[in-house]
Amino acid sequence: MQAALSLAADGLKPVIVERSGAVGGKLRDWHRLFPTMTPAQEVLEEMAGRLEHAGVEVMLHTEVEGIGSKGVTLAEGKTLDAAAVIVASGFDIFDARLKEEYGYHVYDNVYTTVDIERMLNKGHVALHDGSAPRRIAFVHCVGSRDEKVNQRHCSKVCCITGVKQAMEMRELFPEAEIYNFYMDIRMFGPGYEELYQQAQQESGINFIRGRVSEASPTIDGRIQIKAEDTLVGRPMKMTVDMLVLIVGMKAAGGNERLAASCKGVTLAPSGFVAPKDMFAGSVETGAPGVFTAGAATAPKTIGESIAEGAMAAEKVVEYLKKAK
Amino acid sequence: MENLTFYHGFVVPFVVGTSVLFAVIFYKYVRWFTRLPRRDRQKVRRGIFSFATVRAVWECFTECLLHRRIWRVNPLLGYMHTSFALGWFLLIVVGWLETTAYLGGRFVPLQGHIFFKFFTTGLEHGPRWGIDFEAVMDLLLLYVLSGLALALFKRIRSRALGMRRTTRLTFGDRVALGSLWFIFPMRLLAESITSGLFGSGGFLTGSLGGLLAPVATQGLELAAWWGYSIALGVFFVAMPFSRYMHIFTEVPLIFLRRWGLRSEVREKSFDHFQIEACSRCGLCLDPCQMQRDAGLEQVQSVYFVRDRRYNRLTRRVADTCMMCGRCEERCPVGLELNTLRLNSRHALRNTPANDRYAYARNRDTSSGGGRTGYFAGCMTLLSPRILKAMESIFAAVGEEVWWADRSGGVCCGRPLKLSGEVDAAREMMKINAEMFSKQEITTLVTSCPICLKVFREDYVLPGIEVVHHSEYIERLLGEGRIGLTPGTERFTYHDPCELGRGCGIYKPPREIVRRVGTLVEPAETGREAMCCGSSIAGNGLDKNAVGKMGVAVGRAFEQTGAGSVVTACPLCKKAIARNTSLPVADIAEIVERHLVPAK
Repeated sequence: MQAALSLAADGLKPVIVERSGAVGGKLRDWHRLFPTMTPAQEVLEEMAGRLEHAGVEVMLHTEVEGIGSKGVTLAEGKTLDAAAVIVASGFDIFDARLKEEYGYHVYDNVYTTVDIERMLNKGHVALHDGSAPRRIAFVHCVGSRDEKVNQRHCSKVCCITGVKQAMEMRELFPEAEIYNFYMDIRMFGPGYEELYQQAQQESGINFIRGRVSEASPTIDGRIQIKAEDTLVGRPMKMTVDMLVLIVGMKAAGGNERLAASCKGVTLAPSGFVAPKDMFAGSVETGAPGVFTAGAATAPKTIGESIAEGAMAAEKVVEYLKKAK
Repeated sequence: MENLTFYHGFVVPFVVGTSVLFAVIFYKYVRWFTRLPRRDRQKVRRGIFSFATVRAVWECFTECLLHRRIWRVNPLLGYMHTSFALGWFLLIVVGWLETTAYLGGRFVPLQGHIFFKFFTTGLEHGPRWGIDFEAVMDLLLLYVLSGLALALFKRIRSRALGMRRTTRLTFGDRVALGSLWFIFPMRLLAESITSGLFGSGGFLTGSLGGLLAPVATQGLELAAWWGYSIALGVFFVAMPFSRYMHIFTEVPLIFLRRWGLRSEVREKSFDHFQIEACSRCGLCLDPCQMQRDAGLEQVQSVYFVRDRRYNRLTRRVADTCMMCGRCEERCPVGLELNTLRLNSRHALRNTPANDRYAYARNRDTSSGGGRTGYFAGCMTLLSPRILKAMESIFAAVGEEVWWADRSGGVCCGRPLKLSGEVDAAREMMKINAEMFSKQEITTLVTSCPICLKVFREDYVLPGIEVVHHSEYIERLLGEGRIGLTPGTERFTYHDPCELGRGCGIYKPPREIVRRVGTLVEPAETGREAMCCGSSIAGNGLDKNAVGKMGVAVGRAFEQTGAGSVVTACPLCKKAIARNTSLPVADIAEIVERHLVPAK
């Protein structure tokens, strides 16, 4: 969206091709954004408003097949003539069912962070039977930094998401015990570390360093998790009412189609689109005229994605000038 | 006839080479035989006068000479090997007959047989015993030469003979191979020149001799015979140190195997017979997924056996293998490649167990009771859908079940065994076996083929039959204790290595799948099925390689056009699921979905 806004501001005529029924991507599912707890809706509305004001053309419910020499190939076989393309197709959410040992879609009361955001948006967070959880455990790095599911990369935003959601749970369930099971806590952004401190000191969230190995049901319908507390050096078992899997970012399934259709675009081993280089060319690809913005190239925060949108637009302008 | 002598200076290289060959082989075999453990020697004593010996003789004929197993894999390659083995063998046998036919029963030294044509130019030519020996010998020589032409062609273009890759040669191999290439062309040349000079020879040597007659001199003749003798001598000296050692070693191997000798988890003298019987033909290379899909080289069975033979085996080579058994299926010599790899790992890695697993003793957390026991195994516990499905199936037939490890148990021991830690594995096995035998169970069901394999192979469980859950379910169906609703879904089935090649279970899972839908087989299936890539034996593999192999496996299933993948191993299930967009389920889950309890 930001890329389109910047292009429009430069007097160009951008077109947004969107697969779903509305722009905004996954932001539309989120409740509040870390680290400031800003409502996601607020950001979304502001961006969408500016888009409308700028009169940017948006093609909804339109799937992209690939990028050819003449422009963007659309699903119905049509070709959208374009002088340059910015790929802002984002990421997929890791399918937690692949970590079968955590029991997602096997036992009740195992959720993902995406489920929690949706429940928060609906204003009703509760267990399967409608009751309030008394003990909640968050599991970090589900589908991130995990060779067993072919996801070696760090998804970056999950640590802070776990901290944020744990604090939101605290607001909703003041009496509950809340645990975070982690390998490392990576608080890279401004205000993140402070939020982490706050979660421990003010919200009373317990952080246990150790990966959860498996979850199994108990006779009374709760969930028993096995983990190792690596700071104490002991294996441990804990019975919880609610298990939240902090799912990672997976490279978008469409990336392969993109790389196959467009000569010059290559993928990193992780499946994300490989940028031309990591520094000055971070929004360019190996194909002239094809640029990227956001999580198409790697896991990114919303702020970073917006910044990249502006940068990609600038690169497009530069590219078009040269092409003339 | 009396004045025939069988000596000339040029025979020296041949005589020396032959002497060295037999001395070395004698030394090796005596050493290996005398070092056989007592129980192996007992087996030899018991087997030697049994029918097994007759069968071994027959197998020597079909394998060492005819190479039937290679023919089955690749007819062109089969022809090449047979032409060398059978052709050369017949040249020797018919050559001996020829000598006898011409000279009667008189003693002829070895070189007299070999260089018969040179020493017997003074004899009257023509058929003996009604056989035109010269023509027969020429025919045999031509047969060998045709194989040689194929061999030369294979060195240049291996693909033409149906092999994508051939083995790289060691120094001994190069010397032996080089001299081998010269032997038969030199023989042809020498015999032809002699034929040209004396107007003898069959259709081949005679006519070539006729062509060479204008330029043939005695000097040239001697040079050719010298060349032939040197080629033979060099080949024989290099032979016991090269891959051609297999020519002889396969014979004692066949006998010992027929008498019941097998390799074990610990290295022993019998292994030498297997290792030196490897001809390094390289047929094991093409089925190897590590090579084909992950580009890993110099670790395949042929290289492993080579490195072990020359005492330069490293842990990297020993550990980089999934022990899927695809190469073992192809091996024309029938080597126990997995067991050999296993006992190498043991030799390189085993550390005494001491009290490492003392904590695991007396930790019986089993529950329930009854005649049927269920052992989930760690991978099933990490795949709770399978466990849930088994619970439903047991409930549907009203089976009283003793749950061995539903709340956590002790490892079956196979992962430790496969890594070479045999002593530690024995600890685990002891703990489990003791726990099983305390129960009243007569049947132990497991849904993990890895556990199944080790239960059947290493556990002594009197009165307890261990079955895979696919076998158990098939029995329930057979007895009419459960029914399945038929469906229209198209399934493809993945044979887990430990279940298929490991335990020989191919049919039961397929029978079950056919009851609930249509079964479409992947391109490689059954005994040749692909490994999922996640084998617990592959602890030396890096994750990149595992990933590449996984992608290839996922693609193979997608190409079948099936709507979903069914397998019968929790580890395979996980491995396939992360590499395909198709749904992947265990056979038990499919059964649960279609379950109709019998009335």
